[in-house]
Amino acid sequence: MITFETVTKRYPDGTVAVDSLNLDIPDGRIMVLVGPSGCGKTTTLRMINRLVEPTSGRILLDGANVADTDPSQLRRGIGYVIQQTGLFPHRTIEDNIATVPLLTGWKRGRATSRARELMDLVGLDPATMARRYPHQLSGGQQQRVGVARALAADPPVLLMDEPFSAVDPIVRAALQDELIRLQAELHKTVVLVTHDVEEAIKVGDLVAVFRPGGHLAQVDTPERLLGAPVDDYVRDFVGFDRGIRRLSFFAAAGLDLATDTVLPAGTAHADAIAAAKHAGEPWLLVVDADGRPLGWAAVAELEPGAAGAALTEVGLAPVGHTFRPDTDSLRAALDATILSRTERAVGVDATGRVIGTTSYERLRDAIRAAEDAAASDAARVQQTAGEAG
Amino acid sequence: MQWSWIPQNWTLIWQYTLDNAFLGLVAPLIGLAISIPVGVACVARRWIYPPVLSVANAVYAIPTLAVFVVLVPYTGLGNLTVIIALTLLSLCVLIPAVVDGLRGVPEPVRQAATAMGFTQVRRMVQVELPLAVPVIIAGLRVAVVSSISLASLGQLIGVSSFGYFFIDGLQRDFPTEIYAGFALTVVLAVVCDLLLVGTRTLLTPWARGRSRATGRSAARRAVTEA
Repeated sequence: MITFETVTKRYPDGTVAVDSLNLDIPDGRIMVLVGPSGCGKTTTLRMINRLVEPTSGRILLDGANVADTDPSQLRRGIGYVIQQTGLFPHRTIEDNIATVPLLTGWKRGRATSRARELMDLVGLDPATMARRYPHQLSGGQQQRVGVARALAADPPVLLMDEPFSAVDPIVRAALQDELIRLQAELHKTVVLVTHDVEEAIKVGDLVAVFRPGGHLAQVDTPERLLGAPVDDYVRDFVGFDRGIRRLSFFAAAGLDLATDTVLPAGTAHADAIAAAKHAGEPWLLVVDADGRPLGWAAVAELEPGAAGAALTEVGLAPVGHTFRPDTDSLRAALDATILSRTERAVGVDATGRVIGTTSYERLRDAIRAAEDAAASDAARVQQTAGEAG
Repeated sequence: MQWSWIPQNWTLIWQYTLDNAFLGLVAPLIGLAISIPVGVACVARRWIYPPVLSVANAVYAIPTLAVFVVLVPYTGLGNLTVIIALTLLSLCVLIPAVVDGLRGVPEPVRQAATAMGFTQVRRMVQVELPLAVPVIIAGLRVAVVSSISLASLGQLIGVSSFGYFFIDGLQRDFPTEIYAGFALTVVLAVVCDLLLVGTRTLLTPWARGRSRATGRSAARRAVTEA
C-alpha cells in the first residue's frame, strides 16, 4: 500500500505541482494517474521513489515514510519504466535487464539467467536478442526491455511514467495487453502515469484523474469513472462516448439471448414460419448440424407450401461478427448487433456453436440491469466507506 | 635529401621517436586524469565551468616556450618541465571534451540510472563516463597530436625529442635531418591517433553501426517487431 498524506510539492519559483494530495494506492492493483500536462501526475509518481522530494506531507510505502529510507536502497526495491525507455546504450539487452540484480550484489551468472527468464516473460527471444544493444531493437522491443529491467529484481512496486506514449498505436495496444497479461501473473502494485484516458480505462484497476494545478478530481474504477463522473471536468476529460465505452466493463453473460428463433437448416418452412410468428421475429438464424451459424433467413421470403425445401435455399443474410457471451463485454455484443444487417448478432461458445441471438431490446434490458447492479454496488461501497470513516 | 642518412642513424631515430612519443602521450594522459574530476565537477556545478574554461584557455594562450621559462627555475631542465607544460596545454582541449561528453549523456538514461538505485559515484563510473568515452577520446586525439608536435620544443631546454633533428639540421645546414624530423613527427602523430581510434573501438562496442541504425533499417525492424 502506498499512501499520500496531504502531500504538496511547490517549486522554488512558486509553481505548485501537487497540492495537498491524499491518495491510497492499494497493493496488487494498477493505479493509473491521468490528466492533462502540468497537472502534477508525473511529479506525484516521482515522489514515490524520491526522484522528487515533497515540500510537505508524507508518502508511506507499506506504512514506512519513504523519506526515512536511503534513496538508492528505496529505488532498488521499486521498478521504474519511462517513456524514452532510458535503456543504457552501452550495455547489452541482458546486461540492461540485469542492472538492479547486479547493483544489489547478485552473482553475474544468476543475474544473467534471471535476465533471460525476464526476456521470455516479456516476449523477447533471449537466443537472438540477449547480446544485442538497445539501438538494434525497435521502439516496442526497447519498451519491453524497459519493463523487463524494471521487473528484474522482482520489486513489489512498479512505477511507469507514460511507458507506451512513444510507440505507434498498434504497438501501444500490444504493450498494453502485455501489461494486463503480466499483471494477472505477477500482481504488482503498479502506478502508471498517462495523459491518455483510453489507456487509463483500459489498463487501470483504479484511475485517479488530476486537474491542472495538482488537484485530484476523482479516484474510481474505470467503470465508475465512465458511469458516474463527479463533475463537468471529469465528464469532459473522459470523453463524449463514455456511455458506449463503459459497456466494456459489463459482461455479455448478462444478456438474455433468444434461442427459439435458432433453427436447423432442415426445418420445414411451415414450422419455421410458425416459430417466427410465435416469437414475433422477422429473422431466423439458420444453423448447420453442429449448431454453427449459416446465416439469417428472412421470414417474409419463406414459402409455407414448400415441402422438403431446406431453409438454406432462400438467400441467407450473412452472420457477420459473432461474440462470446462467456468472455466478451456488452460493448462487443452491441457492436456486433449494430454491424449486422439484421440488427441481430449471434452469440457463440468457444467451439463456434450458437448459444443465441441478440436484439436491440435484449441489449437495452441487459444494459439497464448492469447499470442498476453497478449503481447498487457503488451505493454499498459508499455506505461501507461511510461506516469505516 | 640523403636517404642513406636514415638507415645510418636508425638507433638515433628510434631513440628520439620513443622519447617524443613518451612526452606526447604521457602529458595528455595526465591531463585526462586531471580533466575527468574537473569535468565531473563542472557538470555537477555548472557555475564552475565558465571560469575553469577561461583559465584553461588563458594557459593555452601562453607561448610554450614562455611556460618553459617560467617552470625551469622550479622544475629544472628535464622531462618534468616539458610534461608539466604539455599537460597544462592539453587541459583546454580535454576539460571541454569531458564536460561535453558527460553533458551528452541522454537525460532519460541518467534519470533511469538514478531511479534504479545507482549512487552518484556508481552512476558516474558505470553509466555516464562510459557513455562519454567517444567524445572524450575525440578530445584526447587532438591533445595527443598537438602534444607530439609541441614536444619538439623540449629540445630547447635539452629534453630529447624530434626537436633534436630540427636544431641539429639547422646548425649543420643539413636539410635531410629536418625533413626526417618533420616526417617522423607526422608519422608518430598518425600512428598514435590510430591507436586511440582502436582504443575507442574496443571500449565502445555498443557504438558500432549506431549511426547507420536510422531510417530504413529502423523502419524494417519496426515492421518485423513481434
